Amino acid sequence: MTPTKSSGSKGKPSGKANSSSKSKPKGSAPTGISKRKAKSLALAKPGGAQKTKSLTSSDTKQKKKRVYTEKELNIPKLNGIIPAGIAKPKGQKKGKVFVDDPESMMAIMSVVQAEKEGHIESKIQKARQWEEVREAKRKEMEKRSEEKKKKFEEKKEALKGKKGKRRHSDRARVAVEEEDEKPKEKKARKRVSFG
Amino acid sequence: MRPLTEAELKTLLEKLATYCGKGIQSLIADGTADRHVFRIQKDRVYYVRESLANLATSVKRESLLSLGTCLGKFTKTGKFRLHITSLSVIAPHARYKVWVKPNGEMPFLYGGNVLKAHVGRWSEDCPAHQGVIVLSMNDTPLGFGVSAKSTAEARRLDPTGVVTFRQADIGEYLREEDTLFVT
Repeated sequence: MTPTKSSGSKGKPSGKANSSSKSKPKGSAPTGISKRKAKSLALAKPGGAQKTKSLTSSDTKQKKKRVYTEKELNIPKLNGIIPAGIAKPKGQKKGKVFVDDPESMMAIMSVVQAEKEGHIESKIQKARQWEEVREAKRKEMEKRSEEKKKKFEEKKEALKGKKGKRRHSDRARVAVEEEDEKPKEKKARKRVSFG
Repeated sequence: MRPLTEAELKTLLEKLATYCGKGIQSLIADGTADRHVFRIQKDRVYYVRESLANLATSVKRESLLSLGTCLGKFTKTGKFRLHITSLSVIAPHARYKVWVKPNGEMPFLYGGNVLKAHVGRWSEDCPAHQGVIVLSMNDTPLGFGVSAKSTAEARRLDPTGVVTFRQADIGEYLREEDTLFVT
């Protein structure tokens, strides 16, 4: 297709027939003799036709090349490797392999179901384990908070008891202080007598 | 229209098994002479009577719109997505169920998730992120979804907490009327 594109002018539709019809007159125009005529002229010459005939026969013999098989070429075996994914055993059916008989369908089904069952079972197991862990944690927290509460209560009780005692002691101390202070005041007080 | 390949069948059955229990086996071998088969047409999978599937071979692929019950479709990434039309197939074999009270039916049918306040009953021992069939209190299947929390965790949830994430509901028959059966 490329040669036709190069020979053909822009904008004009390029086709096989079109290009061939264009190229023919171009080649024959300078001589003014068509190919057929030239051939007949050559044949008319004495000896001319024979020469050309012998030449063409020798050319064809030279052009005919021997086709080698891969074994003859001794190509290293590494070059001949086909990737494992691409290689397909011969005689195998082309295209998709359908599963339509109930036996094979049941086989696939049982495999799938066993997988799913195991999956769900493990999920449930895991959930139960987590639940147990959570329960244990909760219990521990409860226990801890109860202990804290108990300690607090104890402390409170202890403080209450102490407060009561302190109050008594305070009163006693105050009383003692008062008693101590009183005589001093008595001494300091001046008395005035009119008499 | 063609039968499923092994990989496709496995993907489909895995999805069905998230919602169904052991009863799923009766989908394939129901014991009757005229068994049901899975057929794929374009990217949609249909659950069809075998005799019907055989008859449908006389219709050319481009002209065949649907047949049997559409279960869902294969996505471009090769996963399988269940459609609401599959509810009639999976609901009788459901493994985990959630019953919704009448006050929760409409919110669910309008595309909302199932809240704890709307739950009337639920199956025990349901793990999180497991396929669940949503039913009304009179056992009418309304749709299906995925459990947000395990049953034990859901018990501690507050009433406005989501129990089941909606996947499909029968309200789609109206909401998705234009696209539901178009391939």
